[in-house]
Amino acid sequence: MKEQPIPERLQISPFLVFYMVMSIQIGIGVLGYQRIIAMDAGYDAWISILFAGGCIHVIVWLIYKICETAGGDIVTAHKYVAGNFIGKALSAIFIAYFILFSLTVLRTFIEVIQVWMFPEISTFWFSFAFMALCVYIIFGGFRTVVGIAFFGLVLPAYLLLTFGWAIKFSNFYNLLPIWDHSIKELLTASYHMSLAFIGFESIIFFYPFIKEPKKSQKWAHFAVLTTTIIYTILAIITFAYFSEDQLSKQIWPSLTMWKIVEMPFVERFEYIGIANWNLIILPNVCISVWIASRLIKRVFNIRQKAGVFFVVAAVLSIINFLDTRKEINTLNDYVGKMGFIFNFIYIPLLFAAVMMTKKLKKGKKK
Amino acid sequence: MKKQLLICLVLLLSGCVDKEILDEINIEVGVGYDLAEDSKDKYRGTVLFQEFQPDKSVINRTFSGSGKLRQDLLLDVTRQSSEPVVTGGLKVAVFGPEISREGIYDLIDSFQRDASIGARVFVVTSEDKAEDVMKGEYGTRGNSTYIYNLIQHNIDHRDIPKTNLHIVSRDYYETGKDTFLPRIKKIADDKVEIIGVSLFDKDKEVEILPLKDLFFFKLLVDKYSQGNFDVKLEKGNLAAVKSIKSKHKIKIIDNHASININIEGIIREYTGRKLTSEVVNDVEKKLEKKVERECLKLLKQFQELGIDPVGLGQIKKTQHRKFDYKKWEDEYKTLEFDVKCNVDVEETGIIE
Repeated sequence: MKEQPIPERLQISPFLVFYMVMSIQIGIGVLGYQRIIAMDAGYDAWISILFAGGCIHVIVWLIYKICETAGGDIVTAHKYVAGNFIGKALSAIFIAYFILFSLTVLRTFIEVIQVWMFPEISTFWFSFAFMALCVYIIFGGFRTVVGIAFFGLVLPAYLLLTFGWAIKFSNFYNLLPIWDHSIKELLTASYHMSLAFIGFESIIFFYPFIKEPKKSQKWAHFAVLTTTIIYTILAIITFAYFSEDQLSKQIWPSLTMWKIVEMPFVERFEYIGIANWNLIILPNVCISVWIASRLIKRVFNIRQKAGVFFVVAAVLSIINFLDTRKEINTLNDYVGKMGFIFNFIYIPLLFAAVMMTKKLKKGKKK
Repeated sequence: MKKQLLICLVLLLSGCVDKEILDEINIEVGVGYDLAEDSKDKYRGTVLFQEFQPDKSVINRTFSGSGKLRQDLLLDVTRQSSEPVVTGGLKVAVFGPEISREGIYDLIDSFQRDASIGARVFVVTSEDKAEDVMKGEYGTRGNSTYIYNLIQHNIDHRDIPKTNLHIVSRDYYETGKDTFLPRIKKIADDKVEIIGVSLFDKDKEVEILPLKDLFFFKLLVDKYSQGNFDVKLEKGNLAAVKSIKSKHKIKIIDNHASININIEGIIREYTGRKLTSEVVNDVEKKLEKKVERECLKLLKQFQELGIDPVGLGQIKKTQHRKFDYKKWEDEYKTLEFDVKCNVDVEETGIIE
């Protein structure tokens, strides 16, 4: 049975993949990754970011190969490898993954709002309003989601410049001596970059929606490269700004660095920054909810709108049970681990399986 | 349908959080801490608010409270204040003499933990009770602005090394570096002045550097962009070297620290007859000698006190892999120094 191709009017131009990948990668991980990697590899950890970024290029390449060979998204690839029933069962796991992903992003962001700005804000009502906005965006179709990804990346891009204020109070000698840590420590730090880097795997889910997908590959690589560079620069500034023991106490180093920002018209820049971060979080949640609902549609053959409501209901009901820093931290850890397993273990395995199936099928035809 | 949803959201979202209207809150702009006389409490805090009058003048209003924690003080103060107290505008924190000898870490930690307090807050120690310092009437723009600007321009143009809450806590957490804070004194009801720098071992004040040492202290821990210094020459002549730019380079090899200080400046005033090139050379030499002698004296003094405000430990760490801090602590006691200074007088003003 051949699947129906996505009509061209619903597809996106190849270069938009750049915004999709980057905007889902940059989310909540970037608020605190510096501390986590510095715990493993000290101030050499920026090397680990470059290394992790390098590895991701390989995975992106694998993702494109899988999609090209199977001729569709991950559901098609699973079907191609394992047949209809098992394939769908495998795909169903990722519904849970993306529900958890959107949950983590949203809850962590709400925690930031609660700690930094409004301690009394209600988790449920904020998520309810946020999710209502997401549902509205997703009902506009995939192209609207991509549009939000574009704006969610371009509009808050100026925030990068605000970290420049920290440079005046930085001591770049902190980074010396380079290579003071073992390879093992550096690799552990790379592994702990997972939470900050995950999201690029979304390509494997929206692949059929890309016009001329082959042309989009370079944009996906470019997106990963840009994210890596941004993370590395931000990490270097952070390392220069904080002393090592001090950094180990900061839960959100990126936000703490805003405390030094001084502008004539605003006393505390964090309020503006965090409010703007809403725009960065929005595409994260939108894309992951869209993917989860899309998977529900593909696996269970029900309307995507019903899927969206299911996902939103799931997120809104679970989010009430996560209250403390510890719980949220554990959730972050788990999602980081799951992302790592999915990206660096499952995708290579799937790649191998797809390649073997291809050979077998060719052999049969002969 | 969409419109209805929008209206719904507007209704739902408004009134989610407390409003804070600027005229209806008290913004804490300065705070002073002393040890409480009553042994039951630990701290006595004096919080400074600004009240803006319709004619643009500022009234300083202080409230004092005591308690074991910073939050207790705030609670105590809130009980006296007619409006809710917020901490987002804090600019200056003053520590009284006993409390800085006792240890200031708890309070610094509480500043850091508070999301609404900025990193540019100036933390200073005072010669007399912090409460008295807070209760003066300095300048026309309010006490905290006065003290803030006083320290800021002394950092920019004079002998106070760069400091603020962030730098203080960074140095505190840095192994191999100790903190220092500017020290102020209230000399009249409408005047405060800087009288030196308090040196800390961890979070306890151990020594006070007098004003005359500050020039050399800043040469060692920071760089100058606009300093000045008077050089005494033979026959009682004086030359004022201005617009001093300085840089230092420190290298530590085998328990020997060599410190190179480079100074560039211009001569602005000279009391002798003629400013010949020999005199300029003499000024350079004299200044070099003086800097070398005084810096060495300071370093020796720090060594005796067992403190390291220059951050020699940190510098050694950046220059050596697998740095062992425990070992360094012993090494520092026997560390040898040599200070080399190079002065360049670039201009001598518009006359010769």
